[in-house]
Amino acid sequence: MTLEMQAPTPTAVKAGRVGSKVNWGLTLQRVLALIIILALWQVAVVVGLLPSITPGVIEVFGAIGAALTMPTFWAALGQTLTAATTGWLISCVVGVTLGLLIGTIRPLDRSTSVVVEFGRAFPTIALMPVVMLMLGATMTMEVTMVVLASVWPVLVQAILGSRRLDPAIVDTVQIFRIPRALWFRRVLLPSAMPFIATGIRISASISILAAVGVEVLTQVPGLGRLITLAQEAQRWDMAFAYLFFAGLFGWGIATLLAWGEKSLLAWNRQSDD
Amino acid sequence: MKTLTNILWWLWLPVVLVILWWFASAQSTNLFVPPLQKIVESTIRDFGNGLLLTAMATSLVNLVLGLLIAILFGVIFGLIIGETRRLRLILDPFIHFFRSVPQSALVPLIIGAFGIGAEPKIYAVAFACVWPIMLNTIDGTRSVEVGVRQVSRVFGIPKMLYFRRVVLPGAMPQIVAGVRVALPIGIVVMVVSELFASNMGLGFYILNSSSTFRIPETWGGAMLVGVIGYFLVMVFSLFEKRLLSWYFKSAAR
Repeated sequence: MTLEMQAPTPTAVKAGRVGSKVNWGLTLQRVLALIIILALWQVAVVVGLLPSITPGVIEVFGAIGAALTMPTFWAALGQTLTAATTGWLISCVVGVTLGLLIGTIRPLDRSTSVVVEFGRAFPTIALMPVVMLMLGATMTMEVTMVVLASVWPVLVQAILGSRRLDPAIVDTVQIFRIPRALWFRRVLLPSAMPFIATGIRISASISILAAVGVEVLTQVPGLGRLITLAQEAQRWDMAFAYLFFAGLFGWGIATLLAWGEKSLLAWNRQSDD
Repeated sequence: MKTLTNILWWLWLPVVLVILWWFASAQSTNLFVPPLQKIVESTIRDFGNGLLLTAMATSLVNLVLGLLIAILFGVIFGLIIGETRRLRLILDPFIHFFRSVPQSALVPLIIGAFGIGAEPKIYAVAFACVWPIMLNTIDGTRSVEVGVRQVSRVFGIPKMLYFRRVVLPGAMPQIVAGVRVALPIGIVVMVVSELFASNMGLGFYILNSSSTFRIPETWGGAMLVGVIGYFLVMVFSLFEKRLLSWYFKSAAR
């Protein structure tokens, strides 16, 4: 029963961009592709291939514009962002601290492996009704759910990262009697960092997913709640617009973190590849 | 003997935690935190009368069907996009965008559009799962060696045969890894879609019991979904190791 390795994937970094030079020909082709996709959508709506409620492209664009001028939209976005970020930061602190502890203390590692594995595979959202009973439809509940969902990738990656210490380095540290604090700062952290960074990036995406999921299902305000409300009010154009923003939000954060991870760990990749 | 010690190492903490929970909650007067004993009793009872078994069957069928649709579309489009350089470059940002949409946000739209039956839930699972599988398949086609690619071209191997016998096996490890990533996503979307609106399935069991204040059932349902999720992921990992034993054994990775 071992933890699956989730090594920092170069794929994730590729998500950023290919080179620093902008390839105009490719950009043009991508714009064309976007126009074709939108045109196909419009045709499908007009012909009636999609469910009758599906709004046309122009309606959705109108709704996107309208959302941008609505204070409620910005407030909701802010609430989702606050809940997701708060939960994510708590997860990072808790996950890294516990992970480094567990990963470096062998008996602790063996004892906790089943619990960690179970927690990671547990679909946390199933606990929402229970957490909701205890905490109500509040921001605290949302943050709790975000933490419960997003702490695992950081924890698992921190464990893997600190387990991976080179035996030669461990011996060297022992022979030279490197002080514990120095060892932690200059040996353990740098060597576990690439793994932790990946965990932090994955858990950011999960935080947003959990926050929006909680909002969709409960009365907690936020972007997800707006989508549910728009759907209940049969404002499908608005619902699609909010969905677009949810996607943009998720994509933006994923891209930003992939880029951050890449530049932060440039030294590691060079020596790795 | 060694395995026995290992098992002891693995199991003592979970066992202690469950026992702690059992005794700490035994005297619980908090309505929302029922004693573990009551949770277990209600779960066993509902297993006995078939309530939970039907709910499980409904949820799992939706999950598996959604996942199968996702695999079908993800692999086919992934192979085509991966093998066509231009297409791959052009579509890359779009696929990444769709992959980043918080999948639970889709649930109200899909259920609102298609109603509360089983079909919309299958669509929701399929739509959420298709992107990681497609992305991994595209990556997988990249791992087919240039030499192999050239040899197939030189010998004029028909396109279909080439896809089936060269690209697909070459991309298989990545595809399976993609399904492994998609599986937990699918489970989450399955649960969310059932918690959002449903009249059967595990999510409905949880929702229904919490709205009628049968709190032990709510806890039991939630824990059961978790345990099922855990087992599915475990079983899939074992399956992956078997299916790809040739790959793990080879030095190619």
